[in-house]
Amino acid sequence: MDECGPNCEETLKEIERFLDGELDALTEGQVNHHLSDCNPCLGRAEFRRHLKDLVHEKCAEQTLPPGLSEKLTQLLRSDGSPTGTY
Amino acid sequence: MAQTTAEEDAKLRARFERDVVPLLPALYGAALRMTRNPADAEDLVQDTYLRAFRGFAGFREGTNLKAWLYRILTNSYINTYRKKQREPQIVEGPDDADDWFLYDRLGARSVEGSAEEEVLDRIPDADVKAALESLPENFRMPVLLADVEGFSYKEIAEIMDTPIGTVMSRLHRGRKALEKALWETARERGLVDG
Repeated sequence: MDECGPNCEETLKEIERFLDGELDALTEGQVNHHLSDCNPCLGRAEFRRHLKDLVHEKCAEQTLPPGLSEKLTQLLRSDGSPTGTY
Repeated sequence: MAQTTAEEDAKLRARFERDVVPLLPALYGAALRMTRNPADAEDLVQDTYLRAFRGFAGFREGTNLKAWLYRILTNSYINTYRKKQREPQIVEGPDDADDWFLYDRLGARSVEGSAEEEVLDRIPDADVKAALESLPENFRMPVLLADVEGFSYKEIAEIMDTPIGTVMSRLHRGRKALEKALWETARERGLVDG
């Protein structure tokens, strides 16, 4: 992988799971160690983290559309019991 | 058993409202990304809310309420809206050749040498949403659940009732497809050369 050394390919292969927090502690430690030492890989990792955060920020909704909250409250009132007994 | 059914019911109802209501904006957002249409998203949230309420007695307090709700949401969506939309189920995604599609292109073609991250930041929110919504459902769902909602692979596997390996490969391919869609958007907006 361009100017990187022999560990780069292995690191980049794990980047996705690394950023998702899905690696075991040992592999995570190895990735962290490599990133602290390799700017090209760090640049790629940071870009991916930025992209992941951006998708979260831009695609999440913070509020309900007007009226929906009332509709939902009404829905619960007109429905039977959650224990299903009456 | 001193408690009457009515008392149990009132308690359950109160707990449902206390715990579920704070999750509704996120749930609505996910519904919107799934259905890609505000009217359908509202219907889907109402349907999910009612199903969750009716099944709430079977939900074990202290377990993962958010994942439980999203599982109901996903099932409702699949049962109702997928049939309605008749979207073809695309199994194939982008190939594995280009793992750093966006990063490499932004690095080579960004306008005025701005950093890759800066180009991303300039893409309007609505375009990022549209890019996510443009993905085929099989890829859109895991990206939505992982990156927008923050679920773990294991939770996504449970929500989608899919093996974890399938979740990981779809997530990977979904993210690549999203990168391609964002690249097209950046080009259309003139944020990159070419």
